[in-house]
Amino acid sequence: MSNEVTENGVSRRTVLKGAALGGLGLVGGGTLLSSCGSDEATGPVTFTARTNDETGLKIAQALADAYKAETGIDVTMQGSGDTNAFQDGISQYLQGTPDDVFQWMAGFRTNFRADQGLLADLSDNISNLGDQMPEGFVSGATNPSDGKQYIIPTTWYPWGLHYRKSTMIELGLDPENIQTWDDFMKLLEGTQKKGLIGYAMGDKGGWEAMGTFSIINTRMNGYDYHIDLLNGRAKWTDQATIDVFNQFAMLIPYMNKNFLDISWDGMRDLLLQKKCGAMMMGSWWANDFLAKSQEDYDDLWIVPFPEINPEFGRDSIDAPVDGVSVASNGSNVEGGKAFAEWIGSEAGMLAAQAAGDTSLYANSRLDTSGYDAFNKQKLAVIGEAKNVMNFLDRDCRNDFAGTIVGPAIQNFLKAPKDVNKIVDGMQEAWDALPPLE
Amino acid sequence: MTTTAASTKTRRRRAFTRGDKFTLSMFLGVPTFLHVVWVWIPAIATIGLSFTYWNGVSLSNIRWAGLANYDTIFTAAPQFYDALRNNTYWLLWFTFIATPLGVLLAYQIDRKIRGSKIYESVYYIPVVLSLAVIGIIWKFMLGPGGLVQALLGYPEIERAIPIFSNYDINTYVILGIASWRHIGYIMLLYLAGLKSVDPSLREAAAIDGATEWQTFRKVVFPAMKPVNTIIIVITVIESLRAFDLIYIIYGTSTGWPILGMLVFVNIYGQAASMLGAAYAVILFLLSIIPIVFYLRTVFKDDVA
Amino acid sequence: MSGIVQDKKYRDRQKRKDFFITVFIAIFAFIWMVPLLWTFFTSLRPYSDVIQNGVFSKPSSIGIQNYINAYDRMEIWEYLSNSFIVAIPAVVLTLFFGSLMAFVVTRYSFKFNLYLLLLFTAGNLLPVQLVYAPLFKMYIWIGELFGNRNLLYDSFIGLILVHVALQMGFATFVMSSYMKTIPKEISESALLDGASVFRHYWNVILPLLRPPLAALSVLMTTWIYNEFFWAIVLIKSDSKRPITSALGRLQGEFVTDFNLLAAGAIMAALPTLIIFFILKRQFVSGLTLGSTKG
Repeated sequence: MSNEVTENGVSRRTVLKGAALGGLGLVGGGTLLSSCGSDEATGPVTFTARTNDETGLKIAQALADAYKAETGIDVTMQGSGDTNAFQDGISQYLQGTPDDVFQWMAGFRTNFRADQGLLADLSDNISNLGDQMPEGFVSGATNPSDGKQYIIPTTWYPWGLHYRKSTMIELGLDPENIQTWDDFMKLLEGTQKKGLIGYAMGDKGGWEAMGTFSIINTRMNGYDYHIDLLNGRAKWTDQATIDVFNQFAMLIPYMNKNFLDISWDGMRDLLLQKKCGAMMMGSWWANDFLAKSQEDYDDLWIVPFPEINPEFGRDSIDAPVDGVSVASNGSNVEGGKAFAEWIGSEAGMLAAQAAGDTSLYANSRLDTSGYDAFNKQKLAVIGEAKNVMNFLDRDCRNDFAGTIVGPAIQNFLKAPKDVNKIVDGMQEAWDALPPLE
Repeated sequence: MTTTAASTKTRRRRAFTRGDKFTLSMFLGVPTFLHVVWVWIPAIATIGLSFTYWNGVSLSNIRWAGLANYDTIFTAAPQFYDALRNNTYWLLWFTFIATPLGVLLAYQIDRKIRGSKIYESVYYIPVVLSLAVIGIIWKFMLGPGGLVQALLGYPEIERAIPIFSNYDINTYVILGIASWRHIGYIMLLYLAGLKSVDPSLREAAAIDGATEWQTFRKVVFPAMKPVNTIIIVITVIESLRAFDLIYIIYGTSTGWPILGMLVFVNIYGQAASMLGAAYAVILFLLSIIPIVFYLRTVFKDDVA
Repeated sequence: MSGIVQDKKYRDRQKRKDFFITVFIAIFAFIWMVPLLWTFFTSLRPYSDVIQNGVFSKPSSIGIQNYINAYDRMEIWEYLSNSFIVAIPAVVLTLFFGSLMAFVVTRYSFKFNLYLLLLFTAGNLLPVQLVYAPLFKMYIWIGELFGNRNLLYDSFIGLILVHVALQMGFATFVMSSYMKTIPKEISESALLDGASVFRHYWNVILPLLRPPLAALSVLMTTWIYNEFFWAIVLIKSDSKRPITSALGRLQGEFVTDFNLLAAGAIMAALPTLIIFFILKRQFVSGLTLGSTKG
């Protein structure tokens, strides 16, 4: 099994959970990180925000401005353009003339590029951050092949069922109290009866529905099976996996019919425009609700995906960690490291928060007592789970997740009856993968 | 004829001066260098790389794979057959529907019907638009909240029906959009060719009692041989190279797989591997047929 | 006598037929324009109308507000100028190199002429994806050689050169076909005068190539302006993106406001539409130059 991804799930799931709860208690002391940046870290820095929406760009610009105000160093920020396209082209981007610092995500996507020598080692910066960076995040950011860190964690978010409180009240439904699959089905039915979309879905990007697949898999077969499956130790053709697909199929009748025509942002808009009941998604776009209006933001809520198999309850969750990485081919690597470290520090995260970033922060000094209700709920949703995952396409080889799993789930959504044929194809494709380098 | 005239000329002049030699070598050398280094060397390198495992980053990681990439494509990549099928549909549709429609339009507009100049421009407009713009335009027509959705009775965004992702119809939808552009292209090409056909020939044939179809087949079509060649090649090459439109509509999610997209996803994306190179070679081998056909037709006088 | 009768009958029949055909073509032409007209209409109305009152609602206002917004918020102007910064030098270079090649292969008889022409023409027809991966590596490598990775990758120069290299084949082919129609005597007199090769090209041949140059320049400007693939894979900086690839980005960014996006799309389409309407004659002759060999 030479083509397994070496995963660090065990250390991550146990420690990260501690961080989630521990973070709540720590109150920031207001000290700015004075040690940040070495002496060489001068000269202008370039920074790519992995986003193209106005809120995200505003937050990134605020980081650049605050850094300039504090250190006098110029930061030129630019948006990445279409996020999917940026992620797709990351290897080429890093081989070429990347910006010094760019927003990125922990997991396989970082570790693979680190192994190729495309990312700068940020271990020193992580240790500079000291107790600001909880151990769980450090281990999550650690590349298993060399034990170093190549990303500074900044924010993270849970995947769960999102809905608008006002919509559910209008419908007379109470998603907070759904525990079992049957409860869930009743909820979807109730929503659909009132003419709304029960379970909003937009899988045009090919990755959005992976969230639903993963959560059902962990609910039915447990975290260990899921990680084994993604790393080739379990088979896609197993009956256990086929059962997951069949369970997934039960949701299809409640979806909007054009789920392969719209992407995650189309889904978000369905919720924003009160056209749907529940939606399974990570909450990174909550900022967009806030940008629309405070009222919309306050209306937003998240609950864990319901239990299916009592053996596993609701013990697993996808909670990907985002952060900033430094390109080893950047023109100012030292300056980039200093800026990346600053972003991850209390000062940086406070600047982001002030600019309207409603994320959960990795930095332990951030005053979580000041978190709004939605953020507290997000933490609670994560806190309930024992096992924390990065998300399917960050826990799995890129040349399998993107090119095989994505289209396979799309094909499945189109023709759920073909599930046997689809899993056969997936397993064949896995077996044909070249060994990882 | 050309060559003989020129060769007697050069023979008479005997040798070039040193300055002329330099000029000639620059005239030929610079463009040839650019073309060979930018196009042919990379193309040959891709063919070589298709027999290796490589993630496209560090050259030291290239490892021999033999035919493994091809084996994967033929035996463990169901998308390959979907793509092949879609490219074939595209080719068949263009060959038997879009191209003949373009020719028919040209033939009718050439009769100098009232307003033919306007129609000519109208049909040609989509051709000058970028496929990126075309993709966006058709999303306004067919996507949620689009005109067609509203006409079909689904004006609300939440009730929008799938069109691009409806596998019963999306092949026709994509081919329809592609034809929107292709028909105009063919029409204009043919129209320009028709203008060089002596109109009295057609009239004479009609007066002799030939039907329209007979006139076309016996008089016009043979006179249009060079244009016909171009049209056949354009039809085949465009069908094989199709990429832009699919990229704009489906992104890289391979919602409607075609070979050009499979190459792109596997050679460029974060999943880059030389599987993409193997796809590119397959696409190249398929394109070779029309390329050779074209070159033979066009250059056969010169070779003879 | 009977000839005249038949002639009249023929004309009547033709007239009736022409009428039906005209009607058919007119209807078809209208349908042809609907997508563009609809996009244009969409670009004139505010987004809020569509969301609140649906697609068919009467617009509360019609105006160019979306265009002003597109100009302000989408930096359309910057992308448009990038497109021209790439397209104009690319076209000029392509035509220059193409005319050089055409001149040499038609006026001098080297053994390899035909093979060169074959090579260039075939190169023009290759699938671009076949070229991409090694070319990217080569760009980085050449850049490193000169101490500037930006030299070709993520630079206008690199994008221009790849367009030139690929399109040169077509230009060469078209111009060499055209040159074969130019009488040899013109060249002979130049040669007898003892003119240098350069003067032969510059003073004698180049002026004669004006018609195909005009036609090709129009055609290639639109081709390169509309090109998409290379701009995606070779340009990383947002500030260097040509308009067509930038539209992909804007599509993601303004996905919720499709009226604004419609305005952006129309603005992106305008340059080629204007070129087409002003220079339609050149356009048409450019398309057929290659096919009607002299």
